[in-house]
Amino acid sequence: MKRTIFLWLFVGLVGFVLLPWHMTDRGFTSFDWMRDDAPSTGLMLVMQGGFWWLLAPLLAGLAAAAIQLKIQTPVQRSKLTLWAAAAGLFLTALQGLVIVRAGPRLFETFLTGETVMGGQPGFGIGAGVVVIALLFVLTNALSQTGKGQGDAFVVSMIGLIIALVAVFVFYPVSHILVRAFEVQGGYSLTEFFPRFFDSDLWGLGCVIGSRSCGTAINSLFLATLTGAGTTLLGLSFALIFTRTDFRAKKVLRVLTIIPIITPPFVIGLALILLFGRNGTITELAADLFGMEKTRWLYGFWGVYFAQLLSFTPIAFLVLIGVVQGVSPSMEEASQTLDADRWQTFRYVSLPLMRPGLANAFLLGFIESLADFGNPLVLGGNFGVLSTEIYFAIVGSVADPAKAAILAIALLTLTLSAFLIQRSWVGKKSYATITGKADSGQNAALSPLVRTACYATALPWAALTFVVYSMIVFGSFVKLWGYDHTFTFAHYVRAFGMDFSNGWRFSGVAWDSYFTTLTISTIAAPLTALVGLSTAYLLVRQKFVGKDAFEFSTMLSFAIPGTVIGVSYIMAFNFPPIELTGTSIILIIVFVFRNMPVGVRGGIAAMSQLDNSLDEASITLGANSFTTVRRVILPLMGPAILAALTYSFVRAITSVSAVIFLVSAKHNMATSFIVGRVENGEFGIAIAYSAVLIITMLAAILLLQLLIGTRRLRRTDRVQQPA
Amino acid sequence: MKRTNVISAAILMATSAMASAALADELNVVCSAEQDWCDLMVAAFEAENPDTDVLMVRKSTGETLAQVRAEAGNPKIDVWWGGTGDPHLIAAEEGLTQPSGVSTDELLGWARNMSDISEARTVGIYAGALGIAYNSEILDEKGIAPPACWADLADPRFAGEIQVANPNSSGTAYTELATFVQLFGEDEAFTRLAAVGANVNSYTKSGSAPSKAAARGETGVSIGFMHDMVKLAASGFPLEIVAPCEGTGYEVGAVSIIEGARNFEGAQAWVEFALRADVQSRAPEVQSFQVPSNSNAEVAPESPDLASIKLIDYDFATYGSSETRARLLARWDEEVGDPNPQE
Amino acid sequence: MTTLTQGSVHFDGVVKKYGAVTALKRLDLKIDPGQLVTLLGPSGCGKTTTLRLVAGLEMATEGKILIGGEDVTHLTATYRKVSMVFQSYALFPHMTVRQNVAYGLTVKSMPKAEAAQKADHGLELVGLAGFGDRLPSELSGGQQQRVAVARAIVLEPEVLLLDEPLSNLDAKLRRHVREEIRQIQQRLGLTAVYVTHDQEEAMAVSDRIIVMKNAEIAQEGTPGDLYEAPKSEFIADFIGDANLAACDVGGVTDGIASVRMDGLTYQVPAGGLNKGAAKMVLRPHHLRLHSADEPGVKGVVSYAAYLGKEIQYTVDSPLGELFVISGVVNKPFAQGDDVSVQFDANLARLVAA
Repeated sequence: MKRTIFLWLFVGLVGFVLLPWHMTDRGFTSFDWMRDDAPSTGLMLVMQGGFWWLLAPLLAGLAAAAIQLKIQTPVQRSKLTLWAAAAGLFLTALQGLVIVRAGPRLFETFLTGETVMGGQPGFGIGAGVVVIALLFVLTNALSQTGKGQGDAFVVSMIGLIIALVAVFVFYPVSHILVRAFEVQGGYSLTEFFPRFFDSDLWGLGCVIGSRSCGTAINSLFLATLTGAGTTLLGLSFALIFTRTDFRAKKVLRVLTIIPIITPPFVIGLALILLFGRNGTITELAADLFGMEKTRWLYGFWGVYFAQLLSFTPIAFLVLIGVVQGVSPSMEEASQTLDADRWQTFRYVSLPLMRPGLANAFLLGFIESLADFGNPLVLGGNFGVLSTEIYFAIVGSVADPAKAAILAIALLTLTLSAFLIQRSWVGKKSYATITGKADSGQNAALSPLVRTACYATALPWAALTFVVYSMIVFGSFVKLWGYDHTFTFAHYVRAFGMDFSNGWRFSGVAWDSYFTTLTISTIAAPLTALVGLSTAYLLVRQKFVGKDAFEFSTMLSFAIPGTVIGVSYIMAFNFPPIELTGTSIILIIVFVFRNMPVGVRGGIAAMSQLDNSLDEASITLGANSFTTVRRVILPLMGPAILAALTYSFVRAITSVSAVIFLVSAKHNMATSFIVGRVENGEFGIAIAYSAVLIITMLAAILLLQLLIGTRRLRRTDRVQQPA
Repeated sequence: MKRTNVISAAILMATSAMASAALADELNVVCSAEQDWCDLMVAAFEAENPDTDVLMVRKSTGETLAQVRAEAGNPKIDVWWGGTGDPHLIAAEEGLTQPSGVSTDELLGWARNMSDISEARTVGIYAGALGIAYNSEILDEKGIAPPACWADLADPRFAGEIQVANPNSSGTAYTELATFVQLFGEDEAFTRLAAVGANVNSYTKSGSAPSKAAARGETGVSIGFMHDMVKLAASGFPLEIVAPCEGTGYEVGAVSIIEGARNFEGAQAWVEFALRADVQSRAPEVQSFQVPSNSNAEVAPESPDLASIKLIDYDFATYGSSETRARLLARWDEEVGDPNPQE
Repeated sequence: MTTLTQGSVHFDGVVKKYGAVTALKRLDLKIDPGQLVTLLGPSGCGKTTTLRLVAGLEMATEGKILIGGEDVTHLTATYRKVSMVFQSYALFPHMTVRQNVAYGLTVKSMPKAEAAQKADHGLELVGLAGFGDRLPSELSGGQQQRVAVARAIVLEPEVLLLDEPLSNLDAKLRRHVREEIRQIQQRLGLTAVYVTHDQEEAMAVSDRIIVMKNAEIAQEGTPGDLYEAPKSEFIADFIGDANLAACDVGGVTDGIASVRMDGLTYQVPAGGLNKGAAKMVLRPHHLRLHSADEPGVKGVVSYAAYLGKEIQYTVDSPLGELFVISGVVNKPFAQGDDVSVQFDANLARLVAA
């Protein structure tokens, strides 16, 4: 343990002495400093540049080393090291926040002198390494004082995740939320409450009168129905997969994945072409049954319809692992207790799936709240918070205070849903994968349930199929909806290759395509890592403030992308952390926006793993890290797959936050597609979407091959219906 | 523990290696016009200035304004080209942009006006008139006579057939609102807008959405900018465009240099370039049919002929100001587009 | 490497609290090397907490824990030389039997081949040679249990911990497996701590039994000590069946108490008790039934169960309901018979009331 502290102190020293402290215009990790004469490493800056304030981390590190060497009492040694590291971190952050490019912005009377007034750029690689080293010294010391059962790995992980969430969620989001309390020349609570409780937000006109409801009520209503609907559909699919001998499972599987790999606006557009007033199906119904062509799609029902289509796969991804995990023995036990198949399902299987259902619902609920593409395209006069927030920021009258208030309303809804979900799941144990192996058969579904599953899932699948066939069709015709002459023109424009002069990507989409793939490929494993680590901490470890920790990890997901995007610019356009215009900011925004899915899926999967498996591994001499790697991870196959798939796909398809963060060098596919749709160039947008869909599908299949399925029983058998 | 350390260190290196920021000899352009036009401009500019690397990204005006605001003090953008003039004027009013110092002598009056009211912080590059579009198939099918004037839109024959954006979120719709006020006087304007409102099936959030809906027959009639409609019609939709008989307002697309731009010389060169007649004449190559601001530029035959359209003398100074805007929008909410309409 | 303290377990004033709840009151405990000690007690008595404290799965709130003479109070389970067999077996479902058994060896970086060889040896030890390639789900409950034992012992731990290892097995298998565990433990000279709530199981396998109640030790000793000299009503009742009858100690001379019960006086080993109210412990098989005209405590048979080798009676008497096991099966009493209950006062024990 002492060795670990010295290792990290050494890493920190290397960061301070050898790496450039600040970020340069050339980038975060420029190695120009090796050539330049100007001081760049922390040490050089202190010695030659007069940047005395950078001494703090060095002193803290040295102090920690001295304490480790000199003090014999373990408890005292750890405590003092802890304080030294904490002081180092605090001072490092403080100097970064106080002394910015334009010199000091606080304590001006005290901070004088030429170097201070000259200011400094943001943190570079050197500062990053030093901060992380100090953080791990701190957590290692903390674990030695007996916190977290003295497990340095666990304490370090908690420390790291808290630090990351603080820096990349709280810090930026606070920039915008504080605007809610802003009045001219200051901040006030009295202004906030009247605006927050306005009837535009919370009005119940649609229930008690003939007016429409407030936007918050609309959002709540929509999100609740979407959460319930997607959970139900997801469950139907999961049951069909695990508990029936349905023949076309493979086809179904693809259909359940496709909607999440669909770029935004495409589903809305396809629905308009099918069900809009002039849509194919509407025309058909009008011709065949003389039904009147209406604009029913524009409003609540259209948005709900599109959201069901878009978010069911997420519920499915969460539920499939959970449904598979329900131990056959428990179902067999129920059957031997004379319960019939319906009763077994109702009283045994379903309750055991509770954490999965709750998590699926919560995800659907939050996704619906934050979704802004579908309401934008199909909302008509049905206003929801996410679109209101978007237009409060980018509309013709920008009103950041209103955006902040709406965002707080949205967070209030999320927090309530989160708390209700928590109390519903409760503290019961849902472990069904215990160390006591079983080899039974999963109960087949009762005819009633089976019929219900087929009746809900199959039409949905058929609709999905139609929608996606149309998208593919649309990409090959001149003008989708009007001129159906077959053409490759859209593909050529987007993805053309020029062989005349060597080999060149001449299509207009290549740039953003490669950027998107690169960034998503980097972001996905990081997201899964952060998300599943967090889930592991939440399920398996006990620590103070766990509930708050859990909710804080949900925050970034619950806040609409627009808010995140703007708050990221506000927070990370200036020292100490200056990331705008880089690809890092895109990766970070994806990791922290999508990690909650990893967390939810991980929690659901992990609560099925009996704790004694971890404990057995630990008493057999494995440390927590080995336990995670060799026991927990292999048993979490589906959850890992879900987290990876989801984060990869979301990084490719998300739009609202990205729009603000893309730069010329790092443009993303969605931003490109949205731009084309805005200009009415549907052909190329749809062709691009089709290519993205194929790409993602290929990636998902590859992932599935790589990760495979976990082997719990020799075969997963389903009872043959009698 | 050791393995974890190695892994975390590797991740640290990998992510940081990805990062890079702007160089000084690069020119960062945000383009708020159509993508193809943006691409054309970049290619043409780079052909003339081989030493400058133009980094262009396309964002809508609202998004750009939000970004420019958030980045104020340490901007990553040098020049903002294209997009409707109001946000450019707001940025100028808020001191987010700076005078370019480029000559406006060759420009048409409305483009110079833009520069005058913004203390030279933004300059007009093109104009687009507000108009009405209708889907000829739909109107034929329903036997509705096409509209010719703003006044026609209040006729009950268009009940549920008109789509227009919400001026609270859309600059296009605000232009329409301001046009009505300038055409008919404020009180009369709101009466008329309310009458049109009775026929409106929905107030969309985005300004370009109504014409797209009309193109696909999702609505019969839309209000928006004529160059957007021309483009949709040119791509094959059965869209007919009407210049309202009472006269109509217009938007001016603008270009601005961001305050604190890192590459001011480059930005200046860009503005100069963007105002040149030969450059502006190339817009129709990429199906952009706005009217160019340089008096010597060629106007495409498809472009709405500003001479034949009764253009009002749009008062950008008054109607672009935040005060007037807030007042008109509040009144619009009150009298026309109740945010809680009856369903 | 064998030292005198290797394998010993020592608790010095250990307290465990979960927030406001005290799971373990101040516990002092010494387990000698090579012994099999059982923690016995009803649910919630703190026996599992004690075991988990030895394992390092829980950390003591106060006090010191020594294993093999080394202070391990702040050491996590990973670094303690103990292995544990879980009630649920906790076999890793995604690994084969051999991988399961070799797991502890491979995490200590033992070469794979060597670990596999040791694992096979371990499987042989528990009579499962040749089962290495199966998945846990393909074994019976008893076999899975033995895999769990093999997995724990291949690590050659200083202390082997067993948490209700037999509770998932049927009665017959249970006896068989507990004998095996005992044999392996004795053959390898392992120190073992065994948790169970089944007193018969505890009596059968233990060198020493620690009976726990309400988060503290109620009494400890060899199985014989506990049975022969219970120190409380609870122990008397918990270890073997017992009838408890209220009585009154008149006086004690030379360790023999003069006890009045139901109007009669008995001379009973005092067991450290003094004058005053007490309870007399009467084991069911120490009681004999005679016809009502003989001397003794009068009663009526309220229930009789014929079990072949013995008959179990329930007798209503002034002492309360008495449970009697009679080896005399040729001349049974019937329900409703008046009887007289006799016992040998030497075999009776006294506990505090």
